[in-house]
Amino acid sequence: MKKWLSLLLVLALFLGSAAAESVEPGLLRAAVRYDISTMDVAETTDNYLIPLNVMDRLFETRLVDGKAQVLNSLAADYSVSEDGRTYRFTLRDGVVFSNGSPLTASDVQFSFERLLKVGRQNTDIPLEIEGGEALLKGEADSLKGFQVEDDTRFTITLTEPNAGFTAELSSPAMSIVDAETMAQVTGFGKVPADTIGSGPYIVTEWVANDHYTLVQNERYWGPEPSVKKVIIRVEPDAGTQNLKFQSGELDLIDLESLDSAIVASVYKTGMADRIVSTPRVGVIFMMMNEENEFLKDVRVRRAIGMAVNVDAVIQGVFMGDAIREKGIIPTGIWGHNDALEGFAYDPEGARKLLAEAGYADGQIHFEISMDTSSSTAVQLICASVSQNLEAVGIRAEIVSYEHSAWLAHRGTGKMDSFMATWSMDYNDPANVMYTFFGSEANSKGRSLNYADTDIIHRVAAARAIVDDAARMQEYQALEEKLIQEDAAWIPLCTNLHLYCMGDRVASFAPHWAGFSDFYAADVVLK
Amino acid sequence: MLRTLAQRLVQAVIVLAGVMLLIFVMLRIVPGNPVETLMGEHANQETISRVSEEMGLDQPLHIQFFRYLSSALQGDFGTSFTLGKPVSRLLRSAFVNTLILALFAALFAWIIGIGCGVLAAVTKNRLPDRIFTGFSLLGISLPVFMAAMFLQYVFAFRLHWLPISGADSWTGFILPGIALGWNSAGQIAQMTRVTLLETLQEDYIDTALAKGLSPARTVVRHALRNAMLPVLTMMAIQLSGLLSGAVITETVFSLNGLGRLMVQAISGRDIPLLQGTALFTTGIVILGSLAADCLYAVLDPRIRKGG
Amino acid sequence: MPLSGRKKTDALASLALQSQLGEEIRFRDRLRRLARENKTAVVSAALILVMALAAVFAPLLTPYGEKDMDLLNRLSPPSAAHLLGTDEGGRDVLARLLYGARISLLVGVVPALLSLLLGALLGVIAGYRGGWADALIMRAADITLAFPSMLLTMVVMYALGGGIGNVFLTLTLVNWANVARVVRAQTLQLKNSEFAESARITGVPSRVIMRRHILPNCLPTLLVLFTLNIPASILTESSLSFLGLGVQPPYASWGLMINTGRQYLFNAPWLCFVPGAAIMLIVLAFNFLGNGLMDVLDPRQQKS
Repeated sequence: MKKWLSLLLVLALFLGSAAAESVEPGLLRAAVRYDISTMDVAETTDNYLIPLNVMDRLFETRLVDGKAQVLNSLAADYSVSEDGRTYRFTLRDGVVFSNGSPLTASDVQFSFERLLKVGRQNTDIPLEIEGGEALLKGEADSLKGFQVEDDTRFTITLTEPNAGFTAELSSPAMSIVDAETMAQVTGFGKVPADTIGSGPYIVTEWVANDHYTLVQNERYWGPEPSVKKVIIRVEPDAGTQNLKFQSGELDLIDLESLDSAIVASVYKTGMADRIVSTPRVGVIFMMMNEENEFLKDVRVRRAIGMAVNVDAVIQGVFMGDAIREKGIIPTGIWGHNDALEGFAYDPEGARKLLAEAGYADGQIHFEISMDTSSSTAVQLICASVSQNLEAVGIRAEIVSYEHSAWLAHRGTGKMDSFMATWSMDYNDPANVMYTFFGSEANSKGRSLNYADTDIIHRVAAARAIVDDAARMQEYQALEEKLIQEDAAWIPLCTNLHLYCMGDRVASFAPHWAGFSDFYAADVVLK
Repeated sequence: MLRTLAQRLVQAVIVLAGVMLLIFVMLRIVPGNPVETLMGEHANQETISRVSEEMGLDQPLHIQFFRYLSSALQGDFGTSFTLGKPVSRLLRSAFVNTLILALFAALFAWIIGIGCGVLAAVTKNRLPDRIFTGFSLLGISLPVFMAAMFLQYVFAFRLHWLPISGADSWTGFILPGIALGWNSAGQIAQMTRVTLLETLQEDYIDTALAKGLSPARTVVRHALRNAMLPVLTMMAIQLSGLLSGAVITETVFSLNGLGRLMVQAISGRDIPLLQGTALFTTGIVILGSLAADCLYAVLDPRIRKGG
Repeated sequence: MPLSGRKKTDALASLALQSQLGEEIRFRDRLRRLARENKTAVVSAALILVMALAAVFAPLLTPYGEKDMDLLNRLSPPSAAHLLGTDEGGRDVLARLLYGARISLLVGVVPALLSLLLGALLGVIAGYRGGWADALIMRAADITLAFPSMLLTMVVMYALGGGIGNVFLTLTLVNWANVARVVRAQTLQLKNSEFAESARITGVPSRVIMRRHILPNCLPTLLVLFTLNIPASILTESSLSFLGLGVQPPYASWGLMINTGRQYLFNAPWLCFVPGAAIMLIVLAFNFLGNGLMDVLDPRQQKS
């Protein structure tokens, strides 16, 4: 027995010493919960980690003093015609891709046209360019509205004026790839060696469901990043990530997958000075079906807005790390209206309103459809809202659907209500307003049958207003109508996206819109 | 003997075909459109129907099935929708991890299971028996993720003996192996104890002891050998179960194995990947039970003699 | 899964031998023997009974409801107001444990019962009729057993969606095949026994023979299968909860409680340990009871 024990001890010492290896300088170790499916923006709208770090865009949205601003990146300069339809760009000089091939205007043209030729994801923005529709349908083989003047100069003509165009060009969707390389390789987006960009990093390895590796791009045109190499592991279990971070095996942890109560008791007590946060720039909202027999009555919807105790959610679910939202356009987005009234918590008033609508005796019942893939926070909010509604005499039963089934159910337009977050893709109100209330086709699933076609047309038309001030005014008027008059969207809050930096990290700036994907160049190591 | 084997093989093929058909039909019943799931929240309806067409998902079901069948017979299992890589390659890399994990688990289960079982049997109703039996009962009744988290916390996080997660070196498989194998160890220990106790009552044990053989040698030489038959069969069955993937253990310890691949395939409505994993894991289970039958036939003198 | 499928089949097939002898089964006597000789089994049975009663009378035992949230009082440790503390939604853990017992026990019992009925029916038909019915049923059973059980459960749960009714259905679908196999084996033996033979000669219709003579003789075996299937189902449900496919919040089952409590293991360990202990106890109790039953009903044990 003694022999065994000593053997075990030796083994333990050996393994223990192996675990305490020193970390390679310049290495950043991070983790994600789900593997990416592709590194190609033509195939995805949510796996942006590789495109953000390996590719560049004409513009980049960054937080400057807490405000999102669109800054020049590959574009050195640009001008807009008076009718707001034609943009003339000049590219930054001397930019090369990581394989040495120069980045020219025709690469930009190739990248934008490619999105439409592939025709899968992220087609919305290039579709605004003249001739986009024809290219998507295969009736043309190039974008009519894209004119290359020389290697560094080109013009883009839009079908309609769009004041948010440069903001849209900063979306990861509009990443620039190399036309020459693309003609030679077959594995772009799938094979690391074939996935070439001009950004600060090169992707060298992607082992499915295990990890991927980025290393510094020696040919990068911008400032040299502090992080020279990034290893991102796929760690599906949040608890495991937590343990790994606390034992120093991760340099950065995304705290969103942990409950805020744990964040409060573990991270905010012991590591408060190492927490960085940014608003998620996406409103958590409740959507109600306007064809439901109870919810079609605007008084019922308004009563629901008044019955929901948002402060309890902010204090309880997010432990204070959230901002009360009163509208559709989130805090931090251009066009956000601080003066909007929203719904004040008033259960008494809600009960009165319900009585007025003829539902004094608790006749109202409907389903809150919950996506089981949504965060713990959203699931708790569903339960909390259901309880708030019960207090004013509404039976709102939570029914869970697994993600795919939830999408399918919502698509039928028969879902009673749901709770969700819309994360902004780019810094323009059109992104959320148009998606939910801008077309009759979208209204079935997105806004659960919002019916006012007049408003729908105005939301669509607002995109074309050239004058910034006038455009903002129109969006705010529409938002006020949708919230205060129609109660078509019950806003709750925007939560802060919290990260914690490990011992080796000096500073970190999260993505401006609170994405889980981040710029590794924004991490500074000690 | 050979005829039975041939018969079993034919049956196996029928079962495999049935499984394929079943998976295919079930996937079509599952609510949720694969393309919609793949394209995510920000895609529009038009694109979704166009991509469905490109992927051949708008074809009638029987055509889709035969298309799949014919390419599968040629060894092409298609490309995963969600991971964007050839299914055969994904299966291969996941299976390597699952195989190592299963071997660690089986090793633990066999050594500890048989060890505990024997020690419990020879100390019947005394303190060691109670301890070993308690340990095996714990394995049977503990939900596997509790075992996994407990081991992870104590031996990796607190004591730093072993890695918290990942398959970077063989040491990463020790804790998940134990977590996964504990349940099997419990079953084996229970069965070893019972069969051994039965065998120890047989007459020839008394004879051996009377001949002056030491009790320890008697147990190992005579009793254990005879008690092993049902245990061995159980081990074969368990191994095939372990090889078909262990989603919970793989998730907690971040191992890329068949179980996680399967969950990913179902939740992503990833038809080629699910068909591939289902076929593969079912094949393993069938092989496992075939092997168990053969083992039984070879080891059991009654069956061997009787033909 | 406490006993692997095949082993269970083997052990139970030997149970069939006794009935074949045609001797009267003194079922009650054997239960009496169990009560007298096997203390563990008796304690187990008592424990199961206590848990079942606690589940039924949950509203009398706690002032809280299983869904009553209190967002400002989350994860509070055990206190006089909340004997077992509160969970991530500020819900009383004791209340959830008691109400969760309802669901967990049902998840154990209902599918075990349903798969027993379905499996026994199909097994008797397969064994008695033989021919194409036998081939069809047994191939279906083979296919079911060849599926890795987790895969089958997941595919069916995804097809049907989460929720307790679907958990019942899924577990039934997974478990029937084993029962059918055992019952078929037993039927084959009983079919050729003297009493079945004589009943056939005197012109008793086969439906009646199956119902009156064969099924009752399978009962002891079925009882054992039943008690062993229950803990297996409870554990499977806890695994389903891990994947988000089991019983859905805000309702409670022990499996779901452990699973949501998982991420609070270090901050609020009671969330995980309390239902974990409950599951372990109930699983052990059913296992002891099942093994006890097997002992007294097994003829091999009888002679010693």
